[in-house]
Amino acid sequence: MMQEVLRLQNLQKSFGSVRALKNASLTLKEGEVVALLGDNGAGKSTLIKAISGVFPIDRGDIYVRGEKVSIRSTREAMDLGIETIHQDTSLAPDLSIARNLFLGREPVNLKWLGVFAPLDLAKLRDAASALLKRVGISKKLDADALVSTLSGGERQSIAISRAMQFAAKVIILDEPTNNLGVEETHGVLRFVKEMRAAGHSVLLITHNIHHVFEVADRIIVMRRGEIVAEQTVADTDLLTVESLITGADLSALMKRAQ
Amino acid sequence: MVQQVMVQQVGAVTSEDGAGRAKGRSSLMRSPQFSSFVILIVLLVVFALADGNFLSPLNISNMMAFLPELGIIALGMTLLLTAGEFDLSVGAVFALAPVVVMLLVQNAGVDIGVALLAGLLLCIAIGAINGVIVTKIGISSFLVTLSMLLIVRGAALYITQGFPLKSWDQPGFFVTLLAGSFNIGAFRFYTSLWWFIGLSLLAVYVLRYAKLGNWISAIGSNRNAAVARGVPADAVKIWLFILTSLLAGLAGMISAFRISAASPVAGTGYELEVIAMVVVGGTALTGGRGTILGTIVGALMLRAIRNGIVLVGVPGLAYNIFVGVIILAMLILHALLQKNATRS
Ligand SMILES: Nc1ncnc2c1ncn2[C@@H]1O[C@H](COP(=O)(O)OP(=O)(O)O)[C@@H](O)[C@H]1O
Ligand SMILES: [Mg+2]
Repeated sequence: MMQEVLRLQNLQKSFGSVRALKNASLTLKEGEVVALLGDNGAGKSTLIKAISGVFPIDRGDIYVRGEKVSIRSTREAMDLGIETIHQDTSLAPDLSIARNLFLGREPVNLKWLGVFAPLDLAKLRDAASALLKRVGISKKLDADALVSTLSGGERQSIAISRAMQFAAKVIILDEPTNNLGVEETHGVLRFVKEMRAAGHSVLLITHNIHHVFEVADRIIVMRRGEIVAEQTVADTDLLTVESLITGADLSALMKRAQ
Repeated sequence: MVQQVMVQQVGAVTSEDGAGRAKGRSSLMRSPQFSSFVILIVLLVVFALADGNFLSPLNISNMMAFLPELGIIALGMTLLLTAGEFDLSVGAVFALAPVVVMLLVQNAGVDIGVALLAGLLLCIAIGAINGVIVTKIGISSFLVTLSMLLIVRGAALYITQGFPLKSWDQPGFFVTLLAGSFNIGAFRFYTSLWWFIGLSLLAVYVLRYAKLGNWISAIGSNRNAAVARGVPADAVKIWLFILTSLLAGLAGMISAFRISAASPVAGTGYELEVIAMVVVGGTALTGGRGTILGTIVGALMLRAIRNGIVLVGVPGLAYNIFVGVIILAMLILHALLQKNATRS
């Protein structure tokens, strides 16, 4: 029996009068890839931002490995083993790959100096190079290269390897294949499979249902701030999922057309 | 078959030219602070050739007396700009801080040390107000610090009724500390030069080697990304606003002690002069890329230009034309270098 890693219970979040999240509940098990689907504005990003501590939730409970937790900052989420690759923001383009990989968790000497502590530059570079090698994104990327010189796919790879390096329990990817080429997209999907193989749990948000069927074990569909369906990939098909997302009964329509 | 090969290649999620780009990445020669440095040398040579007095001990001493006062503010401004904000109230704080100190001493009979401390606390408060409004209420630093400029300058004018105050001129610990002078051969330097050198070293350390510097650059480069990694972006920015204000006040006190006068209109226009020094040195106005060495070069450059064009005999009213043209040329150069260095 796979152990439960993350459980959300009745999460609620409003922005003014917009109820972005109404009573969302879900569970994520060890070594499982769950796809979170839904139209634009369904509340997917809001849900994962709540889990990753970007903003506080209004109501509801979050359990990590069965223990109730409160996540009040991104730092607390990271400390709980939840790593998130956000849709819009992940890297600082003016910093080197190595500095980005360790942003917020810099290896330092003379730790007692606090924020004034000097970076352990040798360790930073070595760890970054080792990481780049381990995740297979080429011996060719120089850890000292600025992120602004990388392609979209390379940046996404860096963000993903950063999430992997801290051996996070849960990795959340918000539309990671947006704006990527075919090749780069396949690279990202390969990462997702690798992460599952390594025992991480993955929450994947995407608009591409084909990707879902390629990598996911389970599908959760959101509509207008609510979770409206939950299915295992083996027990469903493309049309069903599409109709769940839009809310229209596509398969019925198709049948009628035939 | 073809597909299979493709998928295997993709595994690497990287492109072939990765190594080439890494090698061509901005080396020292193409870095903005280096190009600024070259231009500084060229300017110095041109001025030296045009007027024999430019490199005379007296003239160099003169330049070095002014340099630290704007330079110290520029250090704070560099860190603030790197984090993606700036402060237009520095020139006004430069005036208000010594004015308040002198009023406390002369009208309220407060001890000079206590008065200085009160002046610095006032600067901290001004910086904190700037920082809190910018980060917590979310108004742009342009608008917040522009308003603060008016408030602070207005306060300086009001409490002095517009008249300059005679500054503390009795010798003592604090005068020596802030505005003492010493001779090296034919050169006469002020202790403010030590302040500038010491603070510069600190700033270089923080921005390039400390964890905090990594945070500052990351915040200016992509604030949300930094926050998502647990970097306390608002707190860092507030502290940088405080630091900049504090350095502006310190510079104002140094200046007032050096010339033995605290004027409510001192430092008028310094905010733009300081920002010019910083961006001419290669720090990006948009944040993310800051260089203290560049700022030092920029401070030297603006000082040399202002001093040089007087000696060369440019009519007084035409100064700013030259200064403006040279700044613009520098910025165009940086932009071109940046374009070459980054692919987008
Ligand atoms: N920071 C915010 N302030 C106000 N409204 C927001 C904010 N973030 C999201 N929303 C609103 O919440 C709803 C859900 O948005 P989001 O979670 O981004 O959807 P999705 O990621 O599924 O496309 C939308 O109506 C959106 O406009
Ligand atoms: Mg979204």
